[in-house]
Amino acid sequence: MKQVGIPHGLFYYYYYPLWKTFFTDLGANVISSSESNRLTLDQGIKLAVDETCLPIKVYFGHVQELCRQHLDYIFIPRLVSVEPKSYICPKFMGVPDMIRAAFDNLPPLIDITIDVSKSDRPLKQDIMRVGSLFTNNNNRIKQAYTHACQENRFCRLLAREGYTMAEAISLWEGQQVQNPTSGDLNIGVLGHGYSLYDRYISMNLIERLRKMGCNVFLPESLDTGCIEQQAATVPKRVFWTLGRKMVGSALYMDKRPDIDGLIYLACFGCGPDSLIGEIIENKVKNKSFMMLTIDEHSGEGGLVTRLEAFCDMLRRRRMRGEGNLPAYG
Amino acid sequence: MYYYLGVDIGSVSSNFVLMDQYGNIREKIYLRTLGNPVKAIKEGFTQIKSRQGGQLDIRGVGTTGSGRHLADVLLGADVVKNEITAHAVAASAIFPGVRTILEIGGQDSKIIILKNGIVQDFAMNTVCAAGTGSFLDQQAARLSIAIEDFGDYAIRSRQGIRIAGRCGVFAESDMIHKQQMGYPTEDIIMGLCEALVRNYLNNVAKGKKIEEPIVFQGGVAANAGIKKAFEKVLNSQVQVPESYEVMGAIGSAMLAQEEREQSQAPGNYRGDDFILEGEFKSSSHECKGCPNLCEVVCIKRNQEILAYWGDRCKKWENSINRQDKLQVI
Repeated sequence: MKQVGIPHGLFYYYYYPLWKTFFTDLGANVISSSESNRLTLDQGIKLAVDETCLPIKVYFGHVQELCRQHLDYIFIPRLVSVEPKSYICPKFMGVPDMIRAAFDNLPPLIDITIDVSKSDRPLKQDIMRVGSLFTNNNNRIKQAYTHACQENRFCRLLAREGYTMAEAISLWEGQQVQNPTSGDLNIGVLGHGYSLYDRYISMNLIERLRKMGCNVFLPESLDTGCIEQQAATVPKRVFWTLGRKMVGSALYMDKRPDIDGLIYLACFGCGPDSLIGEIIENKVKNKSFMMLTIDEHSGEGGLVTRLEAFCDMLRRRRMRGEGNLPAYG
Repeated sequence: MYYYLGVDIGSVSSNFVLMDQYGNIREKIYLRTLGNPVKAIKEGFTQIKSRQGGQLDIRGVGTTGSGRHLADVLLGADVVKNEITAHAVAASAIFPGVRTILEIGGQDSKIIILKNGIVQDFAMNTVCAAGTGSFLDQQAARLSIAIEDFGDYAIRSRQGIRIAGRCGVFAESDMIHKQQMGYPTEDIIMGLCEALVRNYLNNVAKGKKIEEPIVFQGGVAANAGIKKAFEKVLNSQVQVPESYEVMGAIGSAMLAQEEREQSQAPGNYRGDDFILEGEFKSSSHECKGCPNLCEVVCIKRNQEILAYWGDRCKKWENSINRQDKLQVI
């Protein structure tokens, strides 16, 4: 049985069920690296190009962990575009090349190019090419891909219930996940999934908020139609897939009366975030908005202080019965 | 007569305020933390005791600042609050109707927007600490001017020299360059103050509507040059409270009073002997329980372990029976 390694980082949080199902259906055994931890980060920082963002550095650490196991392949997709006329951050296009350049003990890579910006025909051909590494039966490959897409949709449905993508993946794999507790504040939390749902990178942001008595609302729990509708109100179309989702989610939550405040988690050095964060900050008119920037620091004090202050502010305002006043006088 | 103790343990200074039951400030102490918060807390408390003399009836303790949890362990606090809330409470008690608080401390700078005495919006510096007190400290030391005289130098200047304020490293090299060209020290210092203010307004206060009355507090408010630069750029009057350097401590004393007057339960204050008689030691070790290798801090009084923190999984922290207060670290 062929062993395929999948690093536990970047688009893992959006597509792991798809990838895993696909390879498993083709008879491979899928091994993913462990959840990010200090070792992943330390190794990633050592190996990665300095200019990349934190999640990419952490991804390098995950690849390093997989290199120590006896694998036939490591799956490192080249993500260019996952929907028409929209793109993923350009740094992601270079990930397979950066990885090849940084490691010398690397097992063979499966680096499928995912680019459906103009048409999905090249992707379909590439899927067949990847599938043929495992089987000669074209029908089996097609079936595996269809099944994989179904599983991924199922996992997204779980996220609609208020679970983070990381929790949804755990549930999908049959593990137990605690139901999100209910609190007295409703906070919308936005950010790229690979930083927000990675508990090490985000310093456990979502769990912390829940412990502080907040119900956390994530973009994945919102109706996609509403997100797109709100995103379309921005004068120039945002052509980054995740960026547009964030803008749309923020504007949608801005108009929802049940949401008390919005938090945006950005990575220091993220190109798209530097623009998207700004756009959201300018466009959100009705809610308190806080932007958190994270990088390599492991001191959690700064993050905790900001979260506490944010919750305090919302609660003390409500105590005075002024919760509905706009934040910008 | 009974009292409330407010403690603000910051990165650079540790401040103590003794407030009586009528809200009068009876004692205020400003100490340098000098990298040893435990010593500073003990020293501060000893000074309050010796200045007041006799037995003090302390009904409640409030702590704030980045060392608030440490102070809580040593003193036993009724309220452990973030700096934003503490500063806002103090400022709006002293200047009812204040709309904007500019606060610049040792490592943090913040802006707080209030409406009817309630925080409406706030922002803190993100990744970089350029333009905070510790940078000024460093520059004062380089020019061998006492930090207390820094502001006087600045206001003697007739024309500030333009200094790059975006980054501490750039600011320093720019200052050295100007100094080698022969510009007078006063003008360079005024230029630095203006650069700092520019940086603050462009980064921390970005996009916030700064309305009068404006209060400027925190350790850096001692610097008349910065106040002058703020007034010049904002074109409005900036007020500095009499106890500008201990506003965080005043706020936490008030919060402690608020808390104690609402609650029937006995206070958490551990008593004078606990802090004065005990020998406090802190140590740290690397937990080998998982690849995160958390650096766990242990606080001891004589032989008794008071608290652990720094572990992500809370294994160490929860090993000690303490009130829920610490759980949000």
